[in-house]
This record gives sequence, C-alpha cells and structure tokens, in this order.
Amino acid sequence: MEYALYLGCTIPLKMPHFEFAFREIAGILDMTFKEIEGASCCPDPVATQSVSIDTWLTIAARNLCLAEKMGLDVMTICSGCFETLKTTKILLEEDPAAKARVNEVLKKIGYEYKGTSEVFHFVQQCSQDEMLEKIKNILMKPLDNINVAVHYGCHLIRPSKILRFDHPERPESMDKIIEALGGKSVAFAGKLECCGFCARLQEEIGFKLVEDKMTELKEMKEDVDVMVGVCPACCGQYDRKERLISRKTGKELDIPILYLPELMAIAFGVEPDKLGLTNRSVRPYKLLEKLNI
Amino acid sequence: MTEEEVIDAKDLDKDFRYEISEKVGAKSLLKCIQCGVCSSGCTVTEYVDLQPHRVVASCLLGLKDKVLSSTAIWTCSLCHRCTERCPKGVDYSFILALLRNIACKEGNCPEEYRGTIQTIHDNGYVVPYTGGLATNINRRRKRFGLPKLVPPDLKEIDIIMEETGVGNLINKALDDKEDDK
Repeated sequence: MEYALYLGCTIPLKMPHFEFAFREIAGILDMTFKEIEGASCCPDPVATQSVSIDTWLTIAARNLCLAEKMGLDVMTICSGCFETLKTTKILLEEDPAAKARVNEVLKKIGYEYKGTSEVFHFVQQCSQDEMLEKIKNILMKPLDNINVAVHYGCHLIRPSKILRFDHPERPESMDKIIEALGGKSVAFAGKLECCGFCARLQEEIGFKLVEDKMTELKEMKEDVDVMVGVCPACCGQYDRKERLISRKTGKELDIPILYLPELMAIAFGVEPDKLGLTNRSVRPYKLLEKLNI
Repeated sequence: MTEEEVIDAKDLDKDFRYEISEKVGAKSLLKCIQCGVCSSGCTVTEYVDLQPHRVVASCLLGLKDKVLSSTAIWTCSLCHRCTERCPKGVDYSFILALLRNIACKEGNCPEEYRGTIQTIHDNGYVVPYTGGLATNINRRRKRFGLPKLVPPDLKEIDIIMEETGVGNLINKALDDKEDDK
C-alpha cells in the first residue's frame, strides 16, 4: 500500500539523520510513499493549539487536504504530527460545525477538507504481524543480548479515544518491534512517563522527568544498552538533558537515545557511518561494540 | 491547604462553564463529578498552583479570573493521562487548551508561544527556514541524499492565521520590508 509521506518540520529541518534512517528502513521493508509537496508545520500541538484551536485545526486540515488530493492515506514519522493530524481528522468528523468553520476559511485559499484520508504513525505499520515476520526474515545484525528501554511517548498512544492505536497504559507495539529485531525490551517503572518537552515553559519539569527515568534505567540490575523513541521531541529532550544532568549531579547517565528507525537500520545492516549516529550528545559507541559493528 | 477564601456569588461568572462547553472537544466539562482521578495521575501535579480537578471545579463555579490567572493552565505537559483515565470522559487536556486560548485572546499569550506562531507564519515550519539557515539545512539534507523540501505557500498560511484570529499576534514588519524591495 502506498502512503502520502508527511515529514513535519522538526525531523526534515533539524534531524535529517532521523529522516534518512526512516527512509532506509522503509525501503528495506518495501513501504512505498509519495512525497507531499507544499506541506507546512502540522502545526505543533503545544504552542499553536494553546494560542488558537481554530488556527491549529485549519492549518492541519490544509495539510490533510494535500494528501486527499493525492488520494492517499497519510504516514507520519513524528508523534507530534501524528497527534495533530489525527486529532484534527477525528474532531472534524465528530463536529460538523467545526468542519464547516474550517472549510469556510480553507475556501478562501482554494481548498476543501473532506476527511477522506486516514492518518497513521509508522509504528502502526511496522508492528503489524506480517511486517514483524518480514523484519525477522531480513534481519542482518540481530540485537542479541541487547537490552532496550522503550519510550512510547505520550502522543503515540494517548488519548486513545482519538488516536485509536495500541493500549494507552499497556502498549506493546514498540516492544514487539524490538523483539522482532532480536533485542530484549526491558520492563521498568517509568516506561510510560512523559519526557516533559511539552511543559517547556517550565524547564525544571523536563529536567526532573528525564533525571527520574534515566536514573532508574541506570540503576537497574541488567545493563540498559539503548533507549528508543519515535518522536523527535522526546528523543532530543532525553539526549540533550541526560548529559546536562550528568554534569550537574555527578550521576553517570550515558545511555544513548536512538530514534527507533535508527536501531532498525543498524539491525538491518545499514552502515552506521551513513546513519549520522554521532549527531547526539550521547553517542552509541558501546552499543555498536557490543554488536560487533 | 485549608486556606479559606470567601467569594461573593455576584462575582461569579455563571456563563463561564457554557463559554467553554460550547466549544468543540470541550463539551465534556459539564460531566465532571470531582473524583480527582485526573489530579492523582497528573505528570506535573507537584508544580501546579491549582490541581486539574480544581481547575475544572473553578470553571464550573464561574471563577473565571482565578482560572485564567493560574499558572496551572500553562504548566500542563500534554501527557493526556487525565483525559485517558477520566471515568466520565472529561477531556481535560482539551479544556486546558481552550482556557489557554481564552487567556491568549485576553492578551496573556506567553512570548514563547507567540514566537512559535510567528516562526510558522514566516517560514511555514516551526524551524526558521530562510536565507543562510535554509542553505545550511539544504546542505545537510543533501549530504544524507534526502529529497529537496517543497515548502508551503506562505500566503496561504498568512490567510489562515488572519481568518482564525491570530493575525494580531504576528509582527508583519519583515514581510513589508520584502515588499519594499
């Protein structure tokens, strides 16, 4: 099945290495896309929604219109984009008055939102049974003896009445992918805790949440080799703050954070040099060593 | 925690609850039974001056000024656990977004959020993408062999922002300069 690929803006503009990793694994797994031309920021679910829900819904609907014109469902690679576009789709479906208001504005720029395109996060596709089988079959570097801390992040699974994917408090899609890659997804208390990026008006909240989670992972009996996320906000938050906290508190927090497609690409045999793995504060050298890469 | 505060009934905004509940996504406000599940699971509960269930109670009572001047409405991390766990289906995260909208309309928009709106207006993206910055971004993308970005028509974004009521937050000085050239 072919999708309209919605990149958002944080990944293509600030983290092109994430986009590269995603395109690599998508190619290997035969996922096919058409690029959406002229898409804008989703727009971001924090600032834009906080300032004006109407602006948020209308810009999002404009982006969805572009996919509708292509006659394709939307594939997102960032949880913020997924939340914005999927929420817009569901809200406008459930509230005809809001849909009419959005369309009144869109008409002025020559668009009409119909609601014909579905919205997906790539984790949804990658965690389907046949895809998991495919992953197992094409594995080049299985993640043997690798302990992975999975970070779902909030906007992949909640609120479930809107996102309608996986269990909001006991999700398993990402764990299934890690297992298919041959790794072990470790159980830990803070697994579903928020990264705190969206509480960015009060930075100490993010620092506390990152410190709590990374400290728990560091103090576990088994060594945690890597943490994976599927949202650029979460990944950036942990990567940036982990080192700052280390310096401030003297705790040795050095677990690398990878975007899930990066770890998948490593397991699929993509050369680490191509992946831009050094573009982060905690570089995954120990992980690569353990994998004999 | 047992501070006593006496508010005269005539100072309550009795329509405040309806101002919120008539908006898309926030109709659920009126169903709250004050059980407190939202507050017990809140990610930022130790940082707020008003717990989630008290924000809702204040909305229902008509304590508009108290709610809008609280820091609680800006502290939320959008983890959506409150909305997820509410036994009555109250969508607290959405109600909070609406309260922020009202505060912004009344002139209390945090500069950081206003700045994000400006960036999206000027670039189409949440990341600046003009001049030398765009050149650098394009160079980095090229190094990874990624396709060329096709940005949105910024006029369309401008019209949407104007028509949906955030035009007053945008500084258009930059556009005018462009036009003068």
